[in-house]
Amino acid sequence: MNKVWSLLFLAVPVFGVATFVAAPYFNHWLPRDVSEHGRMIDHLFMFILWLTGFVFVGTEVAIFWFMWRYNDRVNREPARFMHGSHSLELVWTILPAAILLFIAIYQMDAWAGSKMRRPDIAPTAEVTGRQFEWRLRYPGPDGVLDTADDIHHVNDLHLPVGEEVLLVVKSEDVLHSFFLPNLRIKQDVVPGMKQYVWFKANETGQFDIVCAELCGWGHYKMKGQVTLESREEFDAWLAQQYEQEQATLEQTTTDEG
Amino acid sequence: MTQPFKSTRNARFLVILLAGLAALSGCGRSEPARYHLNMVEMTDKGISAQYQVEIATILEAMFGTPDEPFVLPETGLDINKLRLASGPAWSDEEGTNHGLYRRHCAHCHGVTGDGAGPTALFLNPYPRDYRQGKFKFKSTERAAQPTAHDLREILRQGIPGTAMPSFRLHPSREIDALVEYVKYLSMRGQMETALANFVMFQLGEGESLSQYANVYVDELLSPIAEGWAGAEDQVIHPDPQLAPPPRNERDPEALAASIAKGRELFYGTKANCLECHGPTALGDGMTTDQDDWSKAVKQFAANHDQVTPVELGALPPRDVRPRNLRLGVFRGGRRPIDIYRRLHAGINGTPMPAVGPATPGATGTVTPDQIWNLVDYVLSLPYDATTQEPALLSNVRERL
Amino acid sequence: MSSIDAGTHAADAHAGEGHHGGGFISTYVFSRDHKIIGIQFLFSTLVWFLVGGLLALGVRWQVAWPWSEMPVVGKMLFSAEGGQISPEFYTMLFTMHATIMIFFVIIPILAGAFGNYLIPLMIGADDMAFPTLNMLSYWFMWPAFAVIGTSFFVEGGGAQAGWTSYPPLSVVQEAAPGSHLPQTLWLIGITFVGVSSMMGSINYMTTIIQMRAPGMTMFRLPMTIWAMFITAILQAFALPVLTAAGFIQLTDRMIGTGFLLPEYLVVNNSDPASGGGQPLLWQHLFWFYSHPAVYIMILPAMGMVSDMISCFARKPLFGYKPMVYSIAGIAGLGFIVWGHHMFVSGMNPALGMTFMVSTMLIALPSAIKVFNWLGTIWGGNLQFTTPMLFALSFVSMFIIGGLSGIFMAATPVDIFIHDTYFIVAHFHYVLFSGTAMAVFGAIYFWFPKMFGRMMNDSWGKVHFFLTFVLLNCVFFPMHILGAVGFPRRLADPYHYATFRELGPLNEFITYCALALVACQAIFVVNFFVSIFFGPKAGRNPWHANGLEWAAPSPPGHGNFDFQPLIYRGPYEYGDPSVDADYYPQTQPPPPGHPETRPEAAPVTY
Repeated sequence: MNKVWSLLFLAVPVFGVATFVAAPYFNHWLPRDVSEHGRMIDHLFMFILWLTGFVFVGTEVAIFWFMWRYNDRVNREPARFMHGSHSLELVWTILPAAILLFIAIYQMDAWAGSKMRRPDIAPTAEVTGRQFEWRLRYPGPDGVLDTADDIHHVNDLHLPVGEEVLLVVKSEDVLHSFFLPNLRIKQDVVPGMKQYVWFKANETGQFDIVCAELCGWGHYKMKGQVTLESREEFDAWLAQQYEQEQATLEQTTTDEG
Repeated sequence: MTQPFKSTRNARFLVILLAGLAALSGCGRSEPARYHLNMVEMTDKGISAQYQVEIATILEAMFGTPDEPFVLPETGLDINKLRLASGPAWSDEEGTNHGLYRRHCAHCHGVTGDGAGPTALFLNPYPRDYRQGKFKFKSTERAAQPTAHDLREILRQGIPGTAMPSFRLHPSREIDALVEYVKYLSMRGQMETALANFVMFQLGEGESLSQYANVYVDELLSPIAEGWAGAEDQVIHPDPQLAPPPRNERDPEALAASIAKGRELFYGTKANCLECHGPTALGDGMTTDQDDWSKAVKQFAANHDQVTPVELGALPPRDVRPRNLRLGVFRGGRRPIDIYRRLHAGINGTPMPAVGPATPGATGTVTPDQIWNLVDYVLSLPYDATTQEPALLSNVRERL
Repeated sequence: MSSIDAGTHAADAHAGEGHHGGGFISTYVFSRDHKIIGIQFLFSTLVWFLVGGLLALGVRWQVAWPWSEMPVVGKMLFSAEGGQISPEFYTMLFTMHATIMIFFVIIPILAGAFGNYLIPLMIGADDMAFPTLNMLSYWFMWPAFAVIGTSFFVEGGGAQAGWTSYPPLSVVQEAAPGSHLPQTLWLIGITFVGVSSMMGSINYMTTIIQMRAPGMTMFRLPMTIWAMFITAILQAFALPVLTAAGFIQLTDRMIGTGFLLPEYLVVNNSDPASGGGQPLLWQHLFWFYSHPAVYIMILPAMGMVSDMISCFARKPLFGYKPMVYSIAGIAGLGFIVWGHHMFVSGMNPALGMTFMVSTMLIALPSAIKVFNWLGTIWGGNLQFTTPMLFALSFVSMFIIGGLSGIFMAATPVDIFIHDTYFIVAHFHYVLFSGTAMAVFGAIYFWFPKMFGRMMNDSWGKVHFFLTFVLLNCVFFPMHILGAVGFPRRLADPYHYATFRELGPLNEFITYCALALVACQAIFVVNFFVSIFFGPKAGRNPWHANGLEWAAPSPPGHGNFDFQPLIYRGPYEYGDPSVDADYYPQTQPPPPGHPETRPEAAPVTY
């Protein structure tokens, strides 16, 4: 029976590793990265995963082995009467400290790139979270936000691909979080604060905008979509939106806008 | 170490454990969802319990249940769309979503479409009660029903400034099904009112409603269905001759002149916007009026002391707030044509009056030209430098 | 052995006569005896544990089968909607699940139940330093139980702003149905819990410093006591901040101050806020308490696990002093890492970088503890009793919870996994797979001391096996959900095409969660049957060294029927110089025994 318990603990690393190995085959893995900076974030994720994976397997197998080897039904030797080992303590203090410090320094650049080095360009759009949708605003022909020719839209964010994009993110009421899983972007939006996110997308397509901070009963309803398209398509789309928004007569094309 | 345990009473353990699990699993399921009658209306119109049962039976025969909708051909509704929208929420293997209404709408608008779902009480403004067939933001004349396109736009754009979110990203098949279902719930509610009125005004003492089976469809349902079918003809189309060109093609000076005229109208006696929207257009003028839905509830409360409307399922009445026009939030759409229609026909069910002609050919409070001036002014307000306000205020003081 | 048992029976008979010589009320209800108070805490928290578990099932049900009829609740509350719950009900479920589990279960069961019960027994005191304060600390939980319990039934139905209660959602009453009266009740309830914890913390610190038996030097204290001591210090320093923050939120809500809201903020067409404040202020204050609170929720469990592992490995604890220093290190660093909850909150990113470094540092003491536990079981004679299995599972599971923390500490990775199920997996591995498993182990371990009878070991192992397997089935796949980016707190995640594929995995988790809660019935039945019918335990059924095992089971009023004198630390198992494989702290050294350590002689005050 005691061996059963040891094997039960061995099952932890076995199934743990199996889960992470199997998940990508079921397509249950990091969503496709379509951004320039996401590569570094994914790399860090995988780096930490391998590192922690080794520690995980090592320690869990150690637990298993000690349980298997030293259970009192099998082990006929007396327990070792010892109170610790100064040199071992030093080893397992300094070694993890060095590794952790390495991780800390290694990631700093990625963090600074995502959150601290804002590019010096005009914002392409303004995203405002409200209960329970994403209100969008693009500068009109004058290229300046907050003027009478702004273009308003909701939930359906279009952005050009292949160039650095700067977005203003705000909240109108409570906290929301502007989360673009495929672009590895997440920024809580805070009422009373104007914040920026920036990235360079390198693939066209349509991807989710998720709200990742509890914002009330309709939190789950805050689904948005970002459409990444070429500069020409984006400009054409924006021009069409502008035309519709200025309409003084009913047009027939509004249904697909 | 010898273990000081004995395997005691394992059998008894097992019995108790199984009994506990059986008790946990033996919980019944709830009844299928049902439409319920508008008890405020039934009580107000003095419809007896017997007639209430008859009305409910007739409604079920004509419209089915929330899980199994049914429509008569006279309604012009598409049963396939309704089937997609009705019933409990689930998704089939191809990923088609069913039960759309209950998944997305019912917790605010209620299974019956009474605008009193579980979440409704906490929203401001309240969700729409579809049962009067009365909708605020639409392209048609004030008293007319909205077109399908209007309802679709509401679903796609949401209503900024309210809890109604945008469903833009849902496939058009789902949006169409929901639009159809909203129309269906409206017609059902209107039919309920018609039946109640019929019992109240036309039915003799002790007569059974079932004797008049022939009139339900021809005399009661048909006018309702016609109202919906005829909405397309009621769409407000501004005269293309008078409509200004899109803003990007406009002469800045002409625009400025138009805005100035609009401002004058805003503070003038004819349009009289400032009475409600306030002297600074902050929506702080008249703040003690109610919309039709709340008025009805207040009216009921004044007439009946036996029972309160809230006990009968109504939401407590609330004052309506005129829009703060300086926020740049336009609930019914921000295109110039949307604002034009809002001014022309007012907002049905609210104190916002129509300034355009009530019927085509009649003269309105202000001319179409002037409506366009007001549109320009309203659209300029969010970007209006607040330094201009003191000058305006002197104007106001004079008038007051 | 037989002489010890005989002594136990005599003591039991004595204990049964009534502790104070007072009536039933003063003996069992408003008791000032730390043991009765500890057991009161234990029962109250176990009841709330059940409530919290059921709330979790509601959450899981909705995530697996959104909008399908929820059992029991659907019929009772949402019959008009065909049993489909409303989304605000779902937000209430996870808010109250977390609130109850954290404030009514984990914190009070560790500090309240085990802290109360064990501290005087393990240090050789006859009771706490302030018995009346101790009684009050329990009875101040009851207003909290009452208001939080009431908040389920008032209009709006339970707080809905998450257990973190971030403003403006929690402050603007119109923002959510649960932000009306229920949120006020929530704040009042949490304040009462805080008062209760504060009373406990002062009491524990005083007792541990002042009331140790002769010879019980600080470095002869068991790890449980060290952990309780440092936890008490953490509470004393962190709680005032939470209380102050709670009052700030309360005044913002009730009298219109504007600490936490920007000016003119309008939510759901509420009146504009007077404002002038900052929503992030709350997050800073809240996490300044709640991050140390994370350690309040794990350190005592670590201490108890150390005691159990050493006892059942029949071997001294490996690295006693490094273990003590790492607990102290965790406590110190615990105050400067709160910002890692706020990496993407809008806090200055430069601060994010500093908090990232301090967070990496705090992983270190935890790693040291794990290695020392491994060192303890290495070369021992492991006895796989139920408490030992739970203790070993704590170590095994805490490794997972600790390692997944490194992902979050890495700020760029946190951008992606923040507020996803990766976080949910992480803290459940620490709090459920870690602390709750340690608590189960501790109940099996100290049950004989509390009630004088043994719990059934075979059923205990069945309970352990099912719990261990099922909790991994529930929480491990959540890492995968998180890697896909599956966010927390969504009532209907399948709006998003990306997450629709995760449906089957979520259903699997929910089935396992249902089974996990159901199998706790084994524990409940074992617990109550053993109280009345379990075999008599004797003073020291586990042949453990700790001072508490020298007292009768259950100990009478005043705890010890002799004057305890302490000769050594609590982990001297397998000393080759004595005959038995254990060497109780109170056993005088035999004549000629080479007791060479300087602190060996009993100290007399």
